[in-house]
Amino acid sequence: MLTYTASRIGQTIIVLLIISFIAFLLVANLGDPLSALLSADATVAERAALIKQLGLEQPMLSRFASFLTNFLQGDLGTSYRTQEPVAKLIVERLPATVELAFVSLIFTIFVGIPAGIFCGVNPKSPISRGIMLFSITGITLPNFVVGIALIAVFSVQLAILPSFGRGETVSLGFWSTGLLTVSGWQAIILPAITLSTFQITFIIRMLRTQLMEVGQSEHIRFARARGVPETTIWFHYAVKNTLLPVITMLGLQLGNIIAFSVVTENVFAWPGLGSLFLQSIQAADIPVIAIYLIFVGAVFMIINLAVELSYPLIDPRVLRRK
Amino acid sequence: MSMPLLEVKDLTVTLSRQDRQIMALDNVSFSIKPGEVLGIVGESGAGKSITGAAIINLLVPPLRRTSGIITLAGERLDTLSPRALRSVRGGRIGFVFQDPMTSLNPVITIGRQLIDTIRTHLRLGRDQARRKAIDWLDRVGLPNPDLTLDRYPHQLSGGMRQRVVIALALCADPVLLIADEPTTALDVSVQAHILQLLRDLHRESGTSMLLITHDLGVIAKMADTVAVFYAGRVAEISPVKELFTRPRHPYTEGLIRATPALTAAGEIQLNPIAGAMPGLGALPNGCGFNPRCPKAQDDCRTIVPPLTQQDLSAFACFHPLERSLVQ
Repeated sequence: MLTYTASRIGQTIIVLLIISFIAFLLVANLGDPLSALLSADATVAERAALIKQLGLEQPMLSRFASFLTNFLQGDLGTSYRTQEPVAKLIVERLPATVELAFVSLIFTIFVGIPAGIFCGVNPKSPISRGIMLFSITGITLPNFVVGIALIAVFSVQLAILPSFGRGETVSLGFWSTGLLTVSGWQAIILPAITLSTFQITFIIRMLRTQLMEVGQSEHIRFARARGVPETTIWFHYAVKNTLLPVITMLGLQLGNIIAFSVVTENVFAWPGLGSLFLQSIQAADIPVIAIYLIFVGAVFMIINLAVELSYPLIDPRVLRRK
Repeated sequence: MSMPLLEVKDLTVTLSRQDRQIMALDNVSFSIKPGEVLGIVGESGAGKSITGAAIINLLVPPLRRTSGIITLAGERLDTLSPRALRSVRGGRIGFVFQDPMTSLNPVITIGRQLIDTIRTHLRLGRDQARRKAIDWLDRVGLPNPDLTLDRYPHQLSGGMRQRVVIALALCADPVLLIADEPTTALDVSVQAHILQLLRDLHRESGTSMLLITHDLGVIAKMADTVAVFYAGRVAEISPVKELFTRPRHPYTEGLIRATPALTAAGEIQLNPIAGAMPGLGALPNGCGFNPRCPKAQDDCRTIVPPLTQQDLSAFACFHPLERSLVQ
């Protein structure tokens, strides 16, 4: 268990280093910081002084080292577009994205898992067929269509939920939350549903297939031959056998929601990282884009690490596979 | 004669395939007395396992029981509600599956699987059930039973797992144990241990047993009475000694002769039965064995011989053998 944990953490650190090196190469080679920082009539001497000041004459590896040192000290560089520190921009936008991801994950778990289990246990019931029909729709429809349709119905026709923004937020020191106000909750419902539509349908289909397969296995038949109640058989014996792939997918999906909610954030004018990323791309704001890349990499790696560390708790056989 | 513990009468199981109904079991009847070991022997596809599963209604669709009466100690099993059936399964009838590599849940501890089963059938608290589980692991011969309780199936060898399977089948003190090829999936060296264990447990508790196997050696060691199955029908039911010394059905004799034997000259002798058992739905008219039978006559090719009792044996043959195999 200890070696397993250590090796997973080690792998994570290595991958994060590689990601930050790629991001560094991006900052170092894309665009020209000199032309961005110097005025048009700067002299050669001024130019040389700036090169010295930014350390651009240093070899690549030592520049990467100082980039990392700065990064670890919290200096993430300065945005070309707003001339603000990148760290400040990210911290401002982070709560919105994380809260949106969190709420859609809750939707996904509380709708997707029960529905998926139901469909896996009773694959032939009319309700299951209905759920599967709905899930085909959910998988086919692109996010922005779902978002626009929800806005059309709930914001325009019924006028009960807002179509943009986060509503009122409450500041808790460095974290501004929308989850403590009524308008904040009203604002988060539609984008969270939009984001979770695909995830829910995905989890339903996956759980269903897995459960139908496990339901055929000899150990389930043997449990029946011992008279074990059907509820224990399905909700404990069978579901536990499906958890490995389901948790893996949920983890990847959570990463996806945090990192790539660009479209949904844009549809709902949600002030999160997705819209920051979009604005940065439009302005070729390389420092922000690079840090965003590292951030996305880190999010995936940390979630993945958490998922992998949970494997031995679900299926002790993973510790044996070396 | 005492009342049979289990009685199976005219059990018929069909396999629905599109528009066709194929008979997998055709009017099978037999009974088991209290404390008796009945061995069911036959080739693959003869309907042995289907019989075992049909008794506790554990058939996998498209297999379906279409008729027949099954009684356990006078109580009808074939008409039970699912709820009542659940208390019979594992409670009064234990079931040992063939392959211990697949019949244990890989992600649930052995203790949890045992305790769940015990508490399904017996009114015991958590601690009492736990103690009973440890006791059973000890009885089936697992070392360190209290540690084994917290282990997962993959941490045990095949033979150890089959011991766990046997504990799972017996832990609620059933009156009948159905063992479906309990040693087939195991190494030869382990097979003997498992058979010995089953025999010891049977002697200790007096549980009746329905032992399904294709191995006449296992039958000779374990069974009191033997039912020979052929193509979904009972060919012969005899006391074990009678079966080996004076088989009545030509198929039984063929089966016994097909067992490899050493001749006086030290050569291994094999006398396989010519031909192959017909597949499901490809049964000839009359007796299912007639195309392979050296004694088959016209009546065998038109009429299905009924099971008739003569001396100690019951057999389904118009022209039974009369000679003894022992000189």
